[in-house]
Amino acid sequence: MEALEMYTVDRREDVYTEELKLNLGPQHPSTHGVLRVELAMDGEIITAARADIGYLHRCAEKIGENVSYLQFTPYTDRMDYLAACNNELAWSLTVEKLLGIEAPERAQWLRVITCELNRIASHLIAFGTYGIDMGANTPFFYAFRERESVLALLERPSGQRMLYNYIRPGGVAHDIDELWLSDVLGFCDEFELRWAEYNTLLSTNKIFIGRTANIGVISKEMALDYGLTGPVLRASGVKWDLRRDVPYLRPYDECEFEVPIGEGTHGTLGDCWDRYWVRMREMMESIRIIRQACHRVPSGDFMLKSMLKMYKSPLKPPAGEAYLRCENPRGELGFYVVSDGGTSPLRLRARAPSFCNLSVLDALLPGCMLGDGVAIIGSLDIVLGEVDR
Amino acid sequence: MESLMIQIEELLGTSGALTLSIAYSVCIGSLLGFITVYAMFAIWMERKVAAHMQQRYGPMEVGGWHGWAQSIADALKLLFKEDLIPRDGNKFLFWIAPAIVFCGVFAGFIAIPFAVGVQIVDIDLGIFFIISIASIEVVGVIMAGWASNSKYSLFGAVREAAQVVSYEVPAAIALLVPILVVGSFRLGDFNAWQETHGWLIFQSPFMPIAALIFFIASLAGAKRAPFDLPEAESELVSGFHTEYSGMRFSFFFLEEYASMFVASVLMATLFFGGFTLPFLDVSSWAPPLAMSFGILILLVKTFAFIFVQMWLRWTLPRLRVDQVMAMGYKFLLPWGFVSVIGAALFEAKGWGFLA
Repeated sequence: MEALEMYTVDRREDVYTEELKLNLGPQHPSTHGVLRVELAMDGEIITAARADIGYLHRCAEKIGENVSYLQFTPYTDRMDYLAACNNELAWSLTVEKLLGIEAPERAQWLRVITCELNRIASHLIAFGTYGIDMGANTPFFYAFRERESVLALLERPSGQRMLYNYIRPGGVAHDIDELWLSDVLGFCDEFELRWAEYNTLLSTNKIFIGRTANIGVISKEMALDYGLTGPVLRASGVKWDLRRDVPYLRPYDECEFEVPIGEGTHGTLGDCWDRYWVRMREMMESIRIIRQACHRVPSGDFMLKSMLKMYKSPLKPPAGEAYLRCENPRGELGFYVVSDGGTSPLRLRARAPSFCNLSVLDALLPGCMLGDGVAIIGSLDIVLGEVDR
Repeated sequence: MESLMIQIEELLGTSGALTLSIAYSVCIGSLLGFITVYAMFAIWMERKVAAHMQQRYGPMEVGGWHGWAQSIADALKLLFKEDLIPRDGNKFLFWIAPAIVFCGVFAGFIAIPFAVGVQIVDIDLGIFFIISIASIEVVGVIMAGWASNSKYSLFGAVREAAQVVSYEVPAAIALLVPILVVGSFRLGDFNAWQETHGWLIFQSPFMPIAALIFFIASLAGAKRAPFDLPEAESELVSGFHTEYSGMRFSFFFLEEYASMFVASVLMATLFFGGFTLPFLDVSSWAPPLAMSFGILILLVKTFAFIFVQMWLRWTLPRLRVDQVMAMGYKFLLPWGFVSVIGAALFEAKGWGFLA
């Protein structure tokens, strides 16, 4: 950061070039979807930035107010489409809170395993696409190889590869087959070796560190001010993880795992490299949780018996409201539901982590070079389906 | 060239200007053919190298055996694509830019000795000619960037200009080191010297430094990763050729692979013995055999370096603009000077390892 400021000052004294407006996106290889950023450039240096969102707005919340509680579950999949299981979990838990019920023990453990698997798949995309943002194409294919294994594992109980509709109010949709848990454990063993491979390929690469360290620094105060959550917040040194601090599922309370936070290993605390590294370490923590959970899945129902009866007619929660948040791969996803006792919510609102994390972009970009801008957008790891909803 | 002219005169009974023009046409035609075939092969190779590094197979269908005809199919597709010119762009510059870009590298090929007697023009200042004619490319790239009337193209063109101009300096300085030893700018002399003495890379401890500097600088000159900033996909979409399509786009592609070849040939000729193997005297062999042996040796060495370039591209992330400049001026240039001065001392004292 200091070095950046230094040459910013030099530039002002030496040469001044005419301001250039650059339109980054919505069709651009590295805006991770349809984000559009209006940039004012002075040569290679960004002087002002404004993120323009809304290109993927699909009225998800309004749709939720017009369909039944159960019908909205697949719509949540399509918000953060890279972490569908986690979205379903947040929605299901909110509805369960509204109904005042709790899923059976077995369903809770299965939810933890699928959600953590999905977190790995989501972080793998963050890792792979970040490599592409940095000009290294190979990590992407490495990441997709392992993601493929995760998708194959998640397909077996749910029947879907990406948008599972697996976790539903009252439990999970289907039970697992007998071999599933041992296959998940097998994947965990393999993944540990692959993870070491990623680090030799990208994490410890000198060029990669040079591109990400000291870039896009978010201080602790700044992160809290902007309401950032998830790996972006933890990379700034705030040890806040809902799984540990507000365990919304009982298994999280019973499992042992660390909450990785940024340490400023290669530069300043809260830079792009820290955000990247927090995600990488979170994958290993997820593996740890999955290992413990696989050994502790109890037998029993995977769905509440009472819910099975209720599914025959639309759910009618009692009048009232509920808000619940979950730790998604990208941060805290919260659902706020108001019920008037009818079959669909009176009001539905989602607090999307990508949307809140994106708010810091305008403040981070000025003073950076164009290449750094791409690095910063990538390190925030946004999913536009969730930003625009 | 001279021997070709004599042969043409004997065969066709022509003389003077006619012979000269026929000889030129034959040379240019065969060079164009060679570059096209080479580029198609290199593109196929790049895809295969990339694929196998990424746990894929790459092209497997077109043509049968491991998709060998994929590049031909791509070239045909590019030929038949609509030739789009941006409405607000400068049509003339847009039209001529790919040709200029390609010409610079193409001209460099005429000074390359592929084997004894297989060289179009034996220029005394061969090395000088190749590196100076190759920099014409920058003009074409700036034309392309300006004429496209796209901000991304402009960014790419300016980056290219800055990068190529900066990296020509360390490249040229690194080339001084082998020139100091052999005492000639003629590429043929390097082959002859290394045939009797051994590979120049082993001449002094400064030689590997110079070779490395030249290799890195030539990567930057050919816009290969990690210096592919002018066409940085994740930042500038495709840089200066964002607006190009069809045949014009393929010329930029051709140029990239051709300059990879020139850089690798220079590497092989100046540091690794060129078309000769050390202490293997082929002068007693039948000329066609010796000639094809020389071409084979040179191509093997060249493709080894081309493979390294591909290997780096699919492994390394991209540097940032200021890091590229810093690397050129703060790292390569000082070490280039060190190697030149060191090598000069070595030569003056007669400490060279190769007698």
